[in-house]
Amino acid sequence: MTKTTRSTSELPAYLSHELRNALACIQQFGSILVDGLAGELSGEQREYLGIMLENASKIRRVLDSALDGTDGSLEERTNKIERVPKLET
Amino acid sequence: MDSRKILIVDDNADIRLGMHLRLKANQYETFFAADAFSGVAEARKHRPDLIILDLGLPAGDGFTVMERLKQIPFLAVIPIIVVSARDGLGNQKRAHEAGARAFLQKPVNDAELLAVIRQALGEPAGTKKPTLYDQGSV
Repeated sequence: MTKTTRSTSELPAYLSHELRNALACIQQFGSILVDGLAGELSGEQREYLGIMLENASKIRRVLDSALDGTDGSLEERTNKIERVPKLET
Repeated sequence: MDSRKILIVDDNADIRLGMHLRLKANQYETFFAADAFSGVAEARKHRPDLIILDLGLPAGDGFTVMERLKQIPFLAVIPIIVVSARDGLGNQKRAHEAGARAFLQKPVNDAELLAVIRQALGEPAGTKKPTLYDQGSV
């Protein structure tokens, strides 16, 4: 496989990885602000942050669908949690 | 009751800070490592109750960390939650086979992460403060 071919084939995984890390930061700090962990926000500020976070979620759904072939639904993500085995004591 | 200790191993400083703020707000004590070597060293030093582990790390990767931890009896029992931006297709199965309790793909919402942490630590549901964003309040 040539370097050019390999680069092309690896592009979706690369894009997914980089965009997911950036989105993780946007969502993480957006929710930190919304929850008041860095100080109280006004109603208007919370509303605007909510719009920002909702659009970040849309980007995630596009990523899930276009690059990873999943629908990124809450149900699908919740199933992941339910599959976590319980701790053995 | 003492705070449960969580080691965050991720090479992204912003991710580490964001997780620290969220976990601190939920009464967890956090420690950090930014590469695979430090991940094992910090685990030895602090003996955390749980490890949040990225897969793509300098000086090895998350699988290397899990392999090394498994070789140290008092660290082998620590539950590990893999939080990675890598695709879940092959990595999720590999992470579970390596001993991870859960594989979460970034971006992870806070309620999801906290639920998995609680489950891995054997804490009852609803003992931590929920987030407004995850509740759909914004």
